[in-house]
Amino acid sequence: MTLIEFVNLLASALLLAGIYAVMSVGMTVIYGVMKIVNLAHAGFMMLGAYLALELFERFRIDPILAALLVFPVMFVVGRVLHWLLVRRLPTSDQPTLASLLLMFGLWLVLQNLGYFIWGNADRSIYTSHTLSLLRFGAVTISTVRLVVFGAAVACMVALHLILNHTWFGRSVRALIQNRYAGQIVGVDDQKTASITFGLGIGFAGLAGALLASLYSFNPDFGRPFLIRAFVIIVLGGLESVSGVAIGAFVLAFVETFGILFVPAGYQLALSYGLLVVVLIFLPGGVAALTAKVRRLA
Amino acid sequence: MSTSPAPLPIRLLAQWRTFAPSWMILAGLAVMPLLLSSPNFIRLLFVTLLWITTSVAWNLLGGFAGQISFGFAVFYGIGAYTTALSMNAGVNPFIAFLVSAITAAAASLLVGLPTFRLRGPYFAIATIGISEAVRVVMTNLSFTGGASGYRIVEHRAFRQLDHYYTALVLASIAVAFSVFISRTRFGLGLNAIRQDEDAAAGLGVNPYAYKLGAHALAAALTGMVGGVFSRYAAFIHPQGVFGFQTSVHILLMPVIGGIATIWGPVLGGVVFGIVEEQIIASFPEIHLFIYGSMLILIILVEPGGILGAFRKLLRRIHGRR
Repeated sequence: MTLIEFVNLLASALLLAGIYAVMSVGMTVIYGVMKIVNLAHAGFMMLGAYLALELFERFRIDPILAALLVFPVMFVVGRVLHWLLVRRLPTSDQPTLASLLLMFGLWLVLQNLGYFIWGNADRSIYTSHTLSLLRFGAVTISTVRLVVFGAAVACMVALHLILNHTWFGRSVRALIQNRYAGQIVGVDDQKTASITFGLGIGFAGLAGALLASLYSFNPDFGRPFLIRAFVIIVLGGLESVSGVAIGAFVLAFVETFGILFVPAGYQLALSYGLLVVVLIFLPGGVAALTAKVRRLA
Repeated sequence: MSTSPAPLPIRLLAQWRTFAPSWMILAGLAVMPLLLSSPNFIRLLFVTLLWITTSVAWNLLGGFAGQISFGFAVFYGIGAYTTALSMNAGVNPFIAFLVSAITAAAASLLVGLPTFRLRGPYFAIATIGISEAVRVVMTNLSFTGGASGYRIVEHRAFRQLDHYYTALVLASIAVAFSVFISRTRFGLGLNAIRQDEDAAAGLGVNPYAYKLGAHALAAALTGMVGGVFSRYAAFIHPQGVFGFQTSVHILLMPVIGGIATIWGPVLGGVVFGIVEEQIIASFPEIHLFIYGSMLILIILVEPGGILGAFRKLLRRIHGRR
């Protein structure tokens, strides 16, 4: 492999990582606060993608701007669903099977909604930028990927600021650390959970809408991404937003450079395999690994 | 007063009375196709019996032991492909089914050895990963035709009743297993694991070995169903037998019927068979909606499934009297 090839792969891995991060972060906040594994995540990504498509086709709104508009819509959807369904689940410190099955049922319903409204044909968002490229010396980058990456990183930074500099963020972090202690010091856990759920769904929709600019999609959209999101949040230690960034980088690098060693057809098997390996050998994620290394040193 | 067990004949009589309804259902199913010989009706019964078998099998692990798996399509698919490959190599179909069972059980060990180190939901997530990975590999594998599928050539006349009775025997074996296990130490151990894994381990149950055992049994049954199905269908492809939908169906039935009971999964299989074959044929555009909302309703309203709701209803009626 020449140096130029390496740099090109590195650049595309980096861009992929940004998208992966924004795709997984919604799952992490929901898991952190409510200990619910959001199996319906892919369904919300699919909804986000179609909403962006509708905004683009009906109102000629730029797809990236449309993605940002999708966020508040999905936020409201998330809060309504929390009020309607999720708050009725028993609270627990461990993810329960009931919550897993509930979210799974929700996913099926969302998928059917997608088929019902938009049919089963593959759709895509095609603009004049879709095929344009930027060249930086020997490195070639797709314009759309770069813009999507920028939007994804901006949203991650915004979330980071919210979590670290607002009272809402403080209560989210408190609940992630210890639900009961949070309640004792006066955190309204139901309200925080509801907003967090909205936020998680909003980010799922946003990620779906951003991905819609890069890939074609249909109502079954998102299953491969759901499993990638699992890999990422498990790598990131399940509950931390910065962990998600690390996990996204690891997965993006493994997938991008894996293509050198494994046939492209098997690429998905690689990420699914990574999920199992990580769950078994590194259940605490990268964070636990660095902590262990620090303890040994 | 001594509490020695009742003499054998009395015990057998008591048991016989408990099982009389099951024997009657079995006898009914055995003569049904002779009375109503419409091929489509027999096909419906055949498919429903296969679904019942997978449902009961899944319940051994997912119900009794409480380990929810989203990956049973792996065993279904491996069973289907094993039977297909062996039959095309000239093996007698019934021996091929046994080979399928053994292969699927072996695969269940490969899946279970690493993943049963994980608890509950993490195990469930890992099974999604494994099942998707296996499907991707099978789609790319060349000697089974990859994504274009695989054809089974059987050099004898097609007799639907052969297939039907095979499925009936298989379903009966599955239910008998389920009844038998629920009455043994093994079944009690699985129950204990579902309720509290640490407490079960404290009482001398080895959760790891028990889960592996239940997984292997469930996989063997599911693999045989895959084999019987592939012989009937004569054509299989990875998106079908290894598809995520297959895993979803196998998981839905016991949850709908009533998890961790003996008759719940059977009921779920019957309901599913009818819904899948009849309702969906009329309203194909809402079938995911039906399954999804059923799942949501069951989780939020009646975790015991149809059987649980039915029992509650009976209790209420008796209470009023």
